[in-house]
Amino acid sequence: MVNFLLRRLLFAIPVLIGIVVVVFLLVRAIPGDPCRSMLGERATQEACETFNRVNGLDEPVPVQLGIYLVRLLQFDLGDSVRSSRPVMSVLIERLPMTIELSMSALLIALLVGIPLGIVAAMRHNTAVDVGTMAAANVGVSMPVFWLGLMLAYLFALVLKDTPFSLPPSGRLSAGASPIPFYEVWGWTAQPDTIRGSVLEFVSNFFIFNTIITGQWAILGDAIKHLILPAVALATIPLSIIARITRSSLLEVLGSDYVRTARAKGALERRVVSRHALRNALLPVVTIGGLQLGLLLGGAVLTESVFSLAGVGRALVEAIFARDYAVIQGFTFVVAFGYVLVNLAVDVSYAYLDPRIRLE
Amino acid sequence: MSRLRWLTLLSVLTLVIAACGTPAATTTTAAPTTTATTAAPPTTTDGTDFEGKSVAAQDCGYGGKILSIEATSQYEVTFTLCSPVPAFQQIVAFNVFGVQPEEHLEATGGAPLADPIGTGPYVLDAWNRGDSIVYQQNPDYWGDAPAYPTLVYRWGTESAARLLELQSGNADYITNVAPSDIATVEGDANLVLLPNRAPNILYLGMSTGYFDANGAEVVHEPFDQLEVRQAFAMGLNRQQLVDNFFAPGSEVASHFVSCSVPNACTGDPWYDFDAEAAQQLLADAGASDLEVTLYYRDVVRPYLPEAGPVAQEIAQDLSENLGISVNAQAVESGEFIEAATIGAYSLYLLGWTADYPHITNFLDFHFGEANPQFGATYADIYEPLVEASALADAAATEPLYEAANNAIRANIPMVPISHAASNDAALASLEGGVSPVFGAPQFQTMNPGKDTLVFVQNEEPISLYCADETDGESLAACQPVIEGLLGYDNDGQVVPKLATECVANEDSTVWTCTLREGVTFHDGSTFDANDVITSWEAGIDAASPLHVGNSGVFEYYTYLWTQLINALAG
Repeated sequence: MVNFLLRRLLFAIPVLIGIVVVVFLLVRAIPGDPCRSMLGERATQEACETFNRVNGLDEPVPVQLGIYLVRLLQFDLGDSVRSSRPVMSVLIERLPMTIELSMSALLIALLVGIPLGIVAAMRHNTAVDVGTMAAANVGVSMPVFWLGLMLAYLFALVLKDTPFSLPPSGRLSAGASPIPFYEVWGWTAQPDTIRGSVLEFVSNFFIFNTIITGQWAILGDAIKHLILPAVALATIPLSIIARITRSSLLEVLGSDYVRTARAKGALERRVVSRHALRNALLPVVTIGGLQLGLLLGGAVLTESVFSLAGVGRALVEAIFARDYAVIQGFTFVVAFGYVLVNLAVDVSYAYLDPRIRLE
Repeated sequence: MSRLRWLTLLSVLTLVIAACGTPAATTTTAAPTTTATTAAPPTTTDGTDFEGKSVAAQDCGYGGKILSIEATSQYEVTFTLCSPVPAFQQIVAFNVFGVQPEEHLEATGGAPLADPIGTGPYVLDAWNRGDSIVYQQNPDYWGDAPAYPTLVYRWGTESAARLLELQSGNADYITNVAPSDIATVEGDANLVLLPNRAPNILYLGMSTGYFDANGAEVVHEPFDQLEVRQAFAMGLNRQQLVDNFFAPGSEVASHFVSCSVPNACTGDPWYDFDAEAAQQLLADAGASDLEVTLYYRDVVRPYLPEAGPVAQEIAQDLSENLGISVNAQAVESGEFIEAATIGAYSLYLLGWTADYPHITNFLDFHFGEANPQFGATYADIYEPLVEASALADAAATEPLYEAANNAIRANIPMVPISHAASNDAALASLEGGVSPVFGAPQFQTMNPGKDTLVFVQNEEPISLYCADETDGESLAACQPVIEGLLGYDNDGQVVPKLATECVANEDSTVWTCTLREGVTFHDGSTFDANDVITSWEAGIDAASPLHVGNSGVFEYYTYLWTQLINALAG
């Protein structure tokens, strides 16, 4: 297992470096430049010369690439030309939001999608099966953008002043802000240090932070704000997982060993849960992992509709602003996230199916 | 040891060596060639000594408008200009020229990007990145205190989402209501529409040509012919466009500048729509079979809330009216601006929103001799503008702007289309809700009837150091905290802020501003003239160690005062 993990991580290094180089060159091939993106129609040639000089953009591209790669090996993702802040700082602020949102969406998708798929498989060719799959088709076809606005309209406006009302956007109510756990516990967190960065990163997981510090009012507020975007974002993966679960379970339920279990008098529920489901979940795990990777990097529409400051929105803003360092840094992190997720999926295979050996 | 473990060890060693390697090269700036900051003679006030600071250019040969800014006493600042600037007070009122404590600017190295300290009615409490900015009432504000303790800025890129925030009661005031939502706001008794009256212009730009990256001249035939440009001027049904695509209150442009700006509507009004005459002009020019692309960028702007539909409509209208082929093509914003501003597009859609309420902000920028966006420049336009910009007397400038407007009409570098009305919206329960002509809403004059007022704008600010920002969202976020010598009221009129008055000498080349006494900054320090000098020095003097900011460009200082002092050293 250890050799397997080490080998996979080692092989990921050239892949990640390749991604970084490709992205580095691609963003500089996009027409337009950071100066004019930032200063707009008031940009003058002299202003942009100053801007480029101040931000190191007047160096030849190979020199910029070399500088960036050396910094990357020192875990320095560079500075945003737009905000003059380290990309790592922006990442520490944005990534926890995206992880919280993505994990919540995936949790909803798994908790609802798998049972739906099981029910559809067990009631194969009945109205329940047809209805479930029709709902899954609708779910996968609905634009997240539209669904998000509809949910916000329903719960923020139509159900306003009822116990079911939910806020239409934001991560917390206006003016609310959780106290970081390290402050509550009296720890010091020096900014611009590794320890400080890690503590700040962890504290930006609002759900986790408020649970461990007992800030129950803020926890409730954070959960209320997370419900609508998580549900909107979960709709498509939920539908996909339901369909995959159904088809995979149907295939497994037709196996010889399942027929044997039934012949031995096992209850159908036990046949499914003890014998069939574990094998049927292998493709679901794969899809779940792929969906998590997609969610981590691509929740931009949901983040835009619900005004959530996540990685997807930051990446899109950076592309429009030609904020090269942010584009490169965030793409690198998303790519690394994909590597880790795929690794976790592969490791889970060994747990789910003892016949699989990680080599 | 296995091959894998050797490989692992080798990789780890490589990473460690790289991480411990020499630091990446850093950008160094050249040392300033001149240093122009000198100390003014000590001036005593209330028995205490005061050593006034100043910032000055060696002479006016550097090309800028400011010769010196001097603290002539503890509560007096004198601006000496290289030539009269008739719009001096209007420019100084722009909140880019806000004042912060000199100690704070020095402590932050000239870059208080996230921790501004000012004298405004609100104190910055917290910037929750990505989510909100929270301000608390300034208990020691020199003016009228706000009626509520907490102001919160939030943002949402989608207009539908902003409207939902307002309708659900989570916001009290939102900006940029989409035209399609105006009826919704007007039909809701709990909401009120607030028209935004900032002068702006949407125009159809036509470039006669440009110089490409190799310096070769590219001619945009047939737009180098006046008859073709006149055909386009007469072949676009601007009234139909405004009626169908713009919010109520928008108007067809009779001149480049909105008539709400003094001297803007002197001279002859623009050409009337006449498709038949336009087609004849094209035929006379031999361009009846013209095929041209109309370039535009699909972004929301006060002068153009719905770029895509408007561009398509213009393309279709011109095609039908002129009997030619015009195809609208969207271009990404950064690429578009880069090309349009050098005149690389023969036909394009662009606009302008006023930075300050004066005709020079519109005409001088667009029709100056150095602007290449229309290709050719016209002496009969820019010469009167240059002459007018040196005159302080508004009445004396009227014939010059009349001549410039007539020359614009005669040479037709572009077609002015519309002055668009945009709209904010607020809860009907918000007392004093009004959208100002310039600047962000003045929330200290409003009352939400509760402890917190929530404002939702389009985007998150880039930084809170407005001396080095150009985006409206950042400038809006500075406003509650930072004040300058002058400001604007809701009608766009200049009002005193940290200066009780600014008085000009006879030829308006020297402006003396009397500062307000007894004002303290949010950090408790006392406001005086040296804070003004230091704040201005950080922006106008490229050689100043405080000339750092966010982008380091200080674009508004450069653009509004023509040049930075010691620009070559910056």
